[in-house]
Amino acid sequence: MTLNRRTILKAGAAAAALPLLGSRAFAQGEPLKVGFIYVGTINDNGYNYAHNQGRIYLQEQLGDAVETTYVENVPEGPDCERVLRELAQQGNKLIFATSFGFGDSVIKVAQQFPDVKFEHATGYMKADNVGLYNARFYEGRAVCGTIAGHLSKTGKLAYIGSFPIPEVVMGINALALSARKVNPNATVKPVYISTWNDPAKEADAARALIDQGVDVIAQHTDGPAALQVAQERGIVGGFGQGADMSAFAPETQLTSIIDHWGPHYLASAKAVIDGTWVAGDTWEGLKEDVVQIGPYGPKVTEEVKAAAEAVRLGQIDGSFHIFTGPIKDNTGAERVAAGVVMTDAELLSMDWYVEGVEQPA
Amino acid sequence: MPFRLEKRPEPSRLMQYLTPAAAVALTMVVGAIIFSLIGYDGMGAVREIFLTPLTNAYKWQDLGVKAAPLIIIGVGLSIAYRANVWNIGAEGQYVVGGLAGTWVALATYGMSGPWILPLMVLAGVVGGMLYAAIPALLRTRLNVNEILTSLMLTYASVQLIYYLIRAPWKDPMGMGFPQTRMFAEAARLPTIIPGTIVHLGVPIALLVALVAWFIMSRSVFGYQMRVVGTAPHAARYGGFSENRTIWLAMLVSGGLAGLAGVLEVAGPFQRMVPGFPTNYGFTAIIVAFLGRLNPLGVVFAGIVMAITFVGGEVAQTTIGLPNAATGIFQAMVLFFLLGGDLLVRYRLRRVASTPATGAA
Repeated sequence: MTLNRRTILKAGAAAAALPLLGSRAFAQGEPLKVGFIYVGTINDNGYNYAHNQGRIYLQEQLGDAVETTYVENVPEGPDCERVLRELAQQGNKLIFATSFGFGDSVIKVAQQFPDVKFEHATGYMKADNVGLYNARFYEGRAVCGTIAGHLSKTGKLAYIGSFPIPEVVMGINALALSARKVNPNATVKPVYISTWNDPAKEADAARALIDQGVDVIAQHTDGPAALQVAQERGIVGGFGQGADMSAFAPETQLTSIIDHWGPHYLASAKAVIDGTWVAGDTWEGLKEDVVQIGPYGPKVTEEVKAAAEAVRLGQIDGSFHIFTGPIKDNTGAERVAAGVVMTDAELLSMDWYVEGVEQPA
Repeated sequence: MPFRLEKRPEPSRLMQYLTPAAAVALTMVVGAIIFSLIGYDGMGAVREIFLTPLTNAYKWQDLGVKAAPLIIIGVGLSIAYRANVWNIGAEGQYVVGGLAGTWVALATYGMSGPWILPLMVLAGVVGGMLYAAIPALLRTRLNVNEILTSLMLTYASVQLIYYLIRAPWKDPMGMGFPQTRMFAEAARLPTIIPGTIVHLGVPIALLVALVAWFIMSRSVFGYQMRVVGTAPHAARYGGFSENRTIWLAMLVSGGLAGLAGVLEVAGPFQRMVPGFPTNYGFTAIIVAFLGRLNPLGVVFAGIVMAITFVGGEVAQTTIGLPNAATGIFQAMVLFFLLGGDLLVRYRLRRVASTPATGAA
């Protein structure tokens, strides 16, 4: 064989494809079409932005072996069903539904398209072709709560939530437990605004809470609106949720919980390409790098940073679990005995608040 | 500037019927230009939004299901608007209709029988009517503007959903998510074409439009509505009571919005969820005007709006158009329609600029 420029190029291309060994066979044929649906817009700089970053990561990692599509602002209800069918009909073989309220629709459409794999984020209903994936956001909340407990002057923290589902309740409780380890008098006031993404409502809630003396706000909604209000009003601080939001509140963001979905999307897509995908149920956190803690803000002193890092690293090496007893609920009754760690099943059905959390209206 | 709007003595009837079609056509042209200028495939966007839903038979079921509530609410609004009664709160009446139907569905949970669905529908219609009766009462008794009250009651209705599904009606198996349980089989609207999602609400929508058209053009009630709207003084001489007209207009539009609500909750949703208010009540305002306040026109307008919703999703998945594009196209349709209406009724006349008087 004569060595000319063309064969060298070919060899080079083959070598470049080596890291994608698992997908190479597939790449020669049709790319795997992967669909994503988001409940908000990819520009929310939070939750949906983070999912879309995951999609981009997947596309970058697998290149021509995948073709990704997304639909944003999909309402939780029958409209979602139509969008899922649309994606399935256009040949997407792996579809990620990234919001809790998509559950009913995913199950219905999955029955109509048995050869399409679905993965539902933060849900609870599985099927043969419907897997679940979630992140241990509460581990991030424990780091935030530690910082809030140190820095809050009034000891009054607030948590702007969407719906009182276990996912959110768990976050509130993790924030309260960790803050009260530092400041036993700290309280958390939850407010539910019945939506994942409505900057006006999020900002209104933040203003009302600040007027009531709250000086640290956490939010479990998709955008930076509450943080912007916190910055404007000059309170002690708030936290980025889903992504680093320091651009919106450079002085006020104490740190952020960053969702890092890319590796999960990559693993699932590879499994579908290799034919090894099964409906899974993953719940990963700081240790697996699915949840990350963003840079600490300027108000976080070295001492507080050290305390926060201890909580973060403790959760990574497994020496610290925020839901370790004794834990009392907000009526004073003991729910978890000393030394006992709550199980995942208990956490995923959590519908009560720990001591120090005001009962929401 | 030396331009003035001057009322045309006799607006062209032909033009009045042509403006909706012209508005849609202009939207397509201007939309293609705008989206090309900002770097998207403009022609592709128009094709995917306006044509794909029509040419792809698989999409027809979606069009029917999406258009049905728009048509039912739009028909009711067109009757009210004909009588110059401005019910802007159809969304709230739709919500209360859905809640009333949900109440029946939950109260009869565990029972079966063909009477459950009709009872739900009745409850939905009555619920919508009662909710529309509040602005009607305030308007006729205290002369409070119905635009404000009906609109504000919409926000109250959404809070009512949140209250009911968070506490008394919460699904015991829902992992704490604020929603009701799935309705029992007897409380779900049947699909009428097997293998599709087309439910009974779709033919009901067509039937509602036909009946409304017949009543509006052939009955005294329809005559009253039209006369009160176009010539209130003549109507008063003719013995038509203004208050009675307001009541009728609000009850009919509210009842139909309630009907759309109960059909929606029993059909596509099959349970009450926080995402139930989907702005059908507001979109139906565009539908009523695009349909020339004529029940048969509303059918076509409802389908056009459904096309933009369904097509907007197609355009997102195929050419990556952002979701907001759908809203831009819908707004353009309304803008061109209202602009066209203005030019049909008025003419733009250049006025010779007059020198300032009293200077000399």
